[in-house]
Amino acid sequence: MTAKQMRQSTLSTLGLGEVIDIFKKGKMPTTASEMVDKVFGLSFNRGPLVISGANGIVGAGKTMQLGSRLQPLGVPIVALDFAGSPDGLGRQFQGLKGNFGTERAAKIMENITSLSYDGKNLPKALKDMKPRFLLEAIPEILEVKKAHYELFKSEFPKIEIRSVTSGFPAKQLGVGVFHPAFPHHINKVWEVVEDSPSDITRMLWALGMVPVPVSDDWSFVLDVLFCGLLSAGTHYSESSNMPYWKVDKYIRRLLGPNPFRAHDAIGAKGANFLTWSCLHHLGKEYGELYRPSADLCARKDSGQNWYPLNHFRPLVDWSLDDHGEREFERAILGPLFQMTSMMLSEKRAHLTMLNAMGELCAQFRSGMLSVIRRYGSDRVLSIVNNFHQHAPEEIANSGWYPAAFENMDSHQWQQLYVNAECDSSVGVISISRESYNHDVDSELNRAIDWLKEEGIERVILTSDFHLSSQMVGAETSDFYPAVESRDAGFNLSLRWSTTARRLESEFEISVGYIAGKRCLGGMLELMSHCHYLIAPKGVALGMPEVTLPVIPGMEGCHWMFRKSDPTMWPHLLELLLTGNNIQAQDAIGLLVDFSDTTEKSLQAAWRVATDGAHGLPRREVKQEGLTSIPDVALLPYEGPQVDQVRRALFNCIRSCCEATLEQALEMQSGHSADFMKSKLFKQGKIGSEYQKTVLI
Amino acid sequence: MVSTTEMIFPKARIPYGTWGASYFPAWQTSPLAEVNIGQFAAESMNRILGIRRVPIKKLDYLVSASTVPWHWKFWNSPTLSSLMDHRVPGFHLEQACATGLQSVIHAAAEVEAGDKEVVGVLTFDRTSDSPASIFPERRAYRRTEVISDVWDNFGFDPATEKSMIAAAGNVARKYRLDRSEVDELAAHRYQQYFDTVESDFHQAVMVPLEILNVQGRSMGVIDQDLGVKQISISAMREMSELDSCVTSGTQTHAGDGMACLLVTNEEQAAELSSKPEIKISLVAKSEVRTGPSLMPEAPTLAVKRILERTGLTIDDMGVIKSHNPFAVNDLVLAHQLDFNWRMMNNTGCSLVWGHPQGPTLTRLIIEGLEEGVRLGGGYVLICGCAAGDVGIAAIFKVS
Repeated sequence: MTAKQMRQSTLSTLGLGEVIDIFKKGKMPTTASEMVDKVFGLSFNRGPLVISGANGIVGAGKTMQLGSRLQPLGVPIVALDFAGSPDGLGRQFQGLKGNFGTERAAKIMENITSLSYDGKNLPKALKDMKPRFLLEAIPEILEVKKAHYELFKSEFPKIEIRSVTSGFPAKQLGVGVFHPAFPHHINKVWEVVEDSPSDITRMLWALGMVPVPVSDDWSFVLDVLFCGLLSAGTHYSESSNMPYWKVDKYIRRLLGPNPFRAHDAIGAKGANFLTWSCLHHLGKEYGELYRPSADLCARKDSGQNWYPLNHFRPLVDWSLDDHGEREFERAILGPLFQMTSMMLSEKRAHLTMLNAMGELCAQFRSGMLSVIRRYGSDRVLSIVNNFHQHAPEEIANSGWYPAAFENMDSHQWQQLYVNAECDSSVGVISISRESYNHDVDSELNRAIDWLKEEGIERVILTSDFHLSSQMVGAETSDFYPAVESRDAGFNLSLRWSTTARRLESEFEISVGYIAGKRCLGGMLELMSHCHYLIAPKGVALGMPEVTLPVIPGMEGCHWMFRKSDPTMWPHLLELLLTGNNIQAQDAIGLLVDFSDTTEKSLQAAWRVATDGAHGLPRREVKQEGLTSIPDVALLPYEGPQVDQVRRALFNCIRSCCEATLEQALEMQSGHSADFMKSKLFKQGKIGSEYQKTVLI
Repeated sequence: MVSTTEMIFPKARIPYGTWGASYFPAWQTSPLAEVNIGQFAAESMNRILGIRRVPIKKLDYLVSASTVPWHWKFWNSPTLSSLMDHRVPGFHLEQACATGLQSVIHAAAEVEAGDKEVVGVLTFDRTSDSPASIFPERRAYRRTEVISDVWDNFGFDPATEKSMIAAAGNVARKYRLDRSEVDELAAHRYQQYFDTVESDFHQAVMVPLEILNVQGRSMGVIDQDLGVKQISISAMREMSELDSCVTSGTQTHAGDGMACLLVTNEEQAAELSSKPEIKISLVAKSEVRTGPSLMPEAPTLAVKRILERTGLTIDDMGVIKSHNPFAVNDLVLAHQLDFNWRMMNNTGCSLVWGHPQGPTLTRLIIEGLEEGVRLGGGYVLICGCAAGDVGIAAIFKVS
């Protein structure tokens, strides 16, 4: 039977099938070595990857990122650039060393051959290497790029070429596009423009990257959002006089990113130019809405920072009253909503990916579609219309598609972060967000409801094998309301815990499968509510709440105790009170029920879900209160603050464990909420973030 | 009104409601005592114009003015406009306490010349923690002179070797002023100020400003003229004299602060003002220098001169505002021009709210114009004295 889905999985947009297929087949859709063989040839006949413009910011970053992944697979890298261009690769070495150690970093560098050329003729050494794939990262001049491709195609007719262009459509370039996100040496997201997903794209996925197929239109999803946000900020500043540093703070509070700080951090001269260029071309294509502001034009030429110089750190504060805040919201969200309507009408990407771009690459706390969904279509239209009333007439005529927000009740809109698939008996819920937040919570509930309506009693909960490469815990910005209100903290904890309990109470069998490098905090609490928890070897598991500090709010203080043998309790206590990680293979019986290679783990998950002969005992959750929880004094003293946090945690653990399962639900929420009102919390990481983000 | 009066700068206008000032905390009483006052002033002007809904980008010139050296003052106007994220040319002015009025006149001249349409006037000073200047002076017996810019200059006019207080005493004696009337006048000025504090008047001219430290944390909000306390007539009378008719109650105190306004052409005034139907223009300006160490009488001489030149009388003035570092200033003016001193400085004056020098007369202009508008129009006379026995006066017309 063909699997049913709430919506299309993002994995399938890469031609890699559905998430449920991974479990059914008991293996990943492909592997890095398989894809490397396809792209670069078999090992005896392997051609190199060429990165042209390798000394530039993008080129150097991508040379390092791809070089570090391809070196173990035996793919040589050629870094091509003009003779005399400043060495951008050497500067990357320290970072490489920091990540991989000196020996491995040296090996990665050793695998890179730097070649110079004159722009007109390819070096002879390159001709002898027979390259298979060119990643072009040369300057943004269309004719120069096209000539560059011709040069390669004439010499190597079968070579695959992709451009990292920051704006040109593939139809203008004549080659496919791999548009990477900043910072280039670490950000794994690439916006991909291809007629259909290629082997190179699948290779990126197999190498642990996040390719995101997008349509062939001017500029890219990330650039429209991020440049659009800076543009809106500059226009607001120009009309209100609010200095950019303060506009930045208000934008951060409203949405998450610091566009102006980011431009300065990247390097104002280059970043200002790229943003101007993006907006300039978008303006030509779509109209006045995208026109770069006068200040951006000036700073594009001068390279001037947006933030004041250090010796002129801001002295006079700015604050907005309620009316001012509404004006600000209109000035920032109005254009962003309008720009998003354009991208939606052009069907630039799968909605989940279009939404995720802001979060993965531009520090949005919630993706733009999630923000739009929260506002609702009526309010979105009202804000944009209000924005138009305060803007020149041409703005309303530059790509405004209100109809784009008409279908917000669909699963595509409603399940941005959580998808559900099922065959006749087993469902798979996949989460495409690395941290748990209010959106994931709501969507998870809807996914469970959908599976129940489909008659599914066996379920696997996992991540999406695409956008989410780890499960890092709860979204800490969701705790901000709890700083101000105990009720907010209590309700948040209660709501999320209640959702998690559905995994235990509403299915005959639920299996948590951890795909990715780690599963921490709130995500581990969530996954632990499944009847079985399976994680491949090497996956790191942990409860780092004590280090933030915060009291786990999704029953981490008692649920795992109830599922494990009392001999495991000292280990659980240590995990909770130290925040240390543990490898999955060392946590069998403690946190997980099975851990082996990825393939064996996938197969085990499917066996358990289909009720095959898996042989794993089901660890029941004890309903009654537990006694003899070990004492906190087992741990060495590490100072008064750590001691206070540990005591608060221990009090929560002991009281929740001693209560019945029914009582523990609200008890844990109470402890969690009380702690978020405490001085310890406010002085900690989340409290500081709250102060920096909200109290501006 | 006298119809024959002609404007000196017929093209120049002050757009109503685009002005503003910080409160003037007395020296050493607020966070302003420890900030770069030029930066504070520039950021404040940007903020004030933002509140007044005037985009800073409308400015095409900046006249800045201050009298006490500040860090990076060499760069003056261009740096100040850069601090507002706006790069325009400009000019810096300084002539002691005449500075505020002179800078408005200079701005009007820029507009009149036709090259500029929107000229900002930004005046400021910080007297707190007065900077000390070191001058190599080969001809002085000490070879190197160190001057505390604020206090050493107050105490010593190099042209007369006299202090400011001595000049006030000289004038009190010259005009045979009665200490009890000086006390009464000073007490009345305090009453006028505190009556204004109780009204909504300051909301139209003063802007509360929050000061940040280097970490971006609040150091407090400057939302009042800190250090100003009401002085009753009985307390005034008990104060000991420092010189004839000069007590701590009948003289001003040093302060910190800024004040700003715009001078534009008629079209821009109509566009930028919240009440474009109100027209404010500069009728005339006069400046005199009186005899040695007689500074407090200089404004009176300047006013007499401006009235003679314009053909207007003191009775034609709807509003009279004076920079009065000494109460004797106002008494001489009233006696010599034969009007009731209770009828001037209705909303406060520098005798009470203090004297940061550069912005003092600018705040008086703003208060005077706001008062003129609330009266329904008329002439607004602004006058004041300045170091060097200088007196300055100007008449504005609000219609």
